[in-house]
Amino acid sequence: MLEFQSISKVYNPGTVHETLLFQDFSLSIEDHSFVTVVGSNGSGKTSMLNILCGTIPVESGHILIGGQDITKMKEFKRYRRMGRVYQDPAKGTCPTMTILENLSMADNKGKPYGLTRGTNKARIQEYKDMLAPLGLGLEDKLGIPVGNLSGGQRQTLALLMATMTPIDFLILDEHTAALDPKTAEIVMELTNKIVQEKKLTTLMVTHNLRHAVEYGDRLLMMHQGQIVLDKDGEEKKNTKVDDLLSIFNSISIECGN
Amino acid sequence: MKKFAAILLALVLLVTLSSCSKTDDKQAMLKIGIIQFAEHGSLDNCRQGFIDGLAEAGYVEGKNVTFNVQNAQADIAIASQIATTLVDVEKCDMICAIATPAAQAAYNYAQDKKIPVIYTAITDPVGASLANADKTNPGEITGTSDLLAVEAQLKMIRALMPEAKTIGILHTTSETNNTMPLNLYKELAPTYGFEIVEKGISAGADIPLALDALLPQVDCISNLTDNTVVSYLSVVLEKAKAAGKPVFGSEIEQVKLGCVAAEGIEYLELGRQTGRMAAKVLKGESTAANIPFETVANSFLYVNKDAMAAYGIQLPADLADRANDVLAK
Amino acid sequence: MILGILEQGLIYGILALGLLITYRILDFPDLTVDSSFPLGAAVSAVLTLNGMHPALTLLCGMLAGALAGLITGFIHVKCKVRDLLSGIITMTALYSINLRIAGKANVPIFGTDTLFRNEFTRALPAWISDYSTVLLILLITLAAKLLLDLFLKTKAGYLLRAAGDNASVVTTLAKDQGSVKIVGLMIANALVALAGAVMCQQQRFFDISMGTGTMVIGLASVIIGTNLFKTFSFMKSTTMAIIGSILYKGCVSLAISLGLEATDMKLITAVLFLLILVAGQAKRKKVRIHA
Repeated sequence: MLEFQSISKVYNPGTVHETLLFQDFSLSIEDHSFVTVVGSNGSGKTSMLNILCGTIPVESGHILIGGQDITKMKEFKRYRRMGRVYQDPAKGTCPTMTILENLSMADNKGKPYGLTRGTNKARIQEYKDMLAPLGLGLEDKLGIPVGNLSGGQRQTLALLMATMTPIDFLILDEHTAALDPKTAEIVMELTNKIVQEKKLTTLMVTHNLRHAVEYGDRLLMMHQGQIVLDKDGEEKKNTKVDDLLSIFNSISIECGN
Repeated sequence: MKKFAAILLALVLLVTLSSCSKTDDKQAMLKIGIIQFAEHGSLDNCRQGFIDGLAEAGYVEGKNVTFNVQNAQADIAIASQIATTLVDVEKCDMICAIATPAAQAAYNYAQDKKIPVIYTAITDPVGASLANADKTNPGEITGTSDLLAVEAQLKMIRALMPEAKTIGILHTTSETNNTMPLNLYKELAPTYGFEIVEKGISAGADIPLALDALLPQVDCISNLTDNTVVSYLSVVLEKAKAAGKPVFGSEIEQVKLGCVAAEGIEYLELGRQTGRMAAKVLKGESTAANIPFETVANSFLYVNKDAMAAYGIQLPADLADRANDVLAK
Repeated sequence: MILGILEQGLIYGILALGLLITYRILDFPDLTVDSSFPLGAAVSAVLTLNGMHPALTLLCGMLAGALAGLITGFIHVKCKVRDLLSGIITMTALYSINLRIAGKANVPIFGTDTLFRNEFTRALPAWISDYSTVLLILLITLAAKLLLDLFLKTKAGYLLRAAGDNASVVTTLAKDQGSVKIVGLMIANALVALAGAVMCQQQRFFDISMGTGTMVIGLASVIIGTNLFKTFSFMKSTTMAIIGSILYKGCVSLAISLGLEATDMKLITAVLFLLILVAGQAKRKKVRIHA
């Protein structure tokens, strides 16, 4: 169980730009559930992920994982149990390092990074087997720096790196938004496969309403720091893209857009 | 890339060739390399004096000797590179090194090749390991020291200020050349009835505050050849004037700028003295190893009559005879 | 002259390896080096005078350098001071500490055995003794280079490269990027101090002013090396840095031999620096058009 308990978050406190984003924000997510999150820009989706990962601090409230309070835990420590893929494909990989080096590094997560050889040669075949089914030809390019790859290839790699080692949570921050539609579908399919196989508790922020409807077992819509729609089970299955669009539009009209 | 490498190679070849041709043309000529550590009035005078001194002894530039003058621009790595060039490429017959790091770099390379090194403008050859503690030379190296005429300076201050009890000295802690004269001041001051009050600074910016603390405790200020303090001389003079305390310099330039008087070193003369030593070695009269290093034979008294008048200081007759008025044209 | 260029170039090559870590790998403008270079020299000079074996003084110098890097890293990471400023703070503090360690601004070690002048080198036959210094320096530089190459291939080395490449990857790997940066700064400054210590053993004196401009020389070497040999994909960046350093010293030597005024030396260095940077950019453009 992942819980946000009465979180409040203010940006630029004490200045003229002070904005209140979350006030008494609460949310619980069951283990092994796949939650998709939609909402307009500035609704607090990405901020929610950043608060969960510890990228930004909160003014008050608590974040609990399995009952353990992690509000004060440092960002890097939280990633021991989490994987995260960002919107920008460049953010999840190291461009001057080769595919093999990137994979080897991710493969070692959770173990000490000492003075032993960085790449375990015995694992190379496994990496190739992992890359081959993607059909991107990455398995033949292990020695190529990641910076030379396309955005889709990089994002696929970032997704694999984030989920290579045992984790409990997968955080996806609009991870298909910067890709062309075809690649976005491939990455989304792969994501779903990994989530199902590894039974990861997943939080996926997306602007693609169809993805939000098609994938996952719970759907949230956020607006101005609040959850305005929360559907799961059968209810979620019956939700259509058009339903979401009409809600979106009604909110936008309220805001005068 | 290939183009660059080709150009680089061509340049290297060019330099090698040009240095080769030099050796062919002037075989009868003696080659003397000069490494000057930095660009500085006193050091420039040393160099000129050295060349003049050799000329007086019969070694005239262009006739029977050529000079290869290099300036390290106060950079030790460059001094080192100049030293290898003079030793290995130019294959000089003698190296003249001006100021401590230049002499150390020159000796480091010249020692094994048995090329004599003649140094000048070194305050403490023993401290710089260029001379042994018993004042003999460690190898083919000798020269002149520009150690201040501290005793003469103390005598002069006593003559000009018969009532004075304390002398203040400002010094930068990172400048090695201060150590010797400062110790000499402390050692000799009681003989002339003075007490020394010293204030160490770490940078020029500390000088105004250091002076505010120092001036009330002393009757006058006496300068070392401290580069930082000398650069800030105008500040020192102004603060001292406001406090009514005279400032004594350590060389002619400081007196020109407004110090009352100085028993200073004439660097041109120091250079000449060095040149005469070098001539002895070139003539084969002696070897660098066998000539002990020398200090300044005699100091010169420089006075600034305007500054003296401002403090109401009278020049006693015995000093007036040998005083050089820096304001007189 | 070639010998002199090689000696100096190889010594400063060790420095360039340090700068390669901070500038190229960590992207950290580390001014600490202007003081950690003389720090290594001061430690080496003083310990040599006290009778320690010169080779051991190199190791002690490296340790001192690592400590300097640790301080800069700590100021930057834990006290959250900007990178440039953290380096300046340590550099300033080390100036005093270097003077304290050395006791005075200039410490000669002419009177004692050094790494390059001892029982062993004196016993060497004449034909090799001319080259013993440069060979020994080559050995030290190559050892430093090979160890660094090996390190960059370890797990810790991967993490260090990742920290400079994309720090957020380090965080998502559940590692503290701050600690990784500190380790990088320690290794870099240890190398810089090693260069200072070797320099001190070779020129046989320490001088407080020997660090002035160190960062610029090191940076120039790294940039010259990595820009000129960019297209040589088989060449390791550590090799490029060392060759860059030798080329830099070659240019300085050339300038001296051509009789250029010392006054203009820095200006010429700056122009050369700019030319190489621009040349490197032009090349990159060409490659992009071809691709």
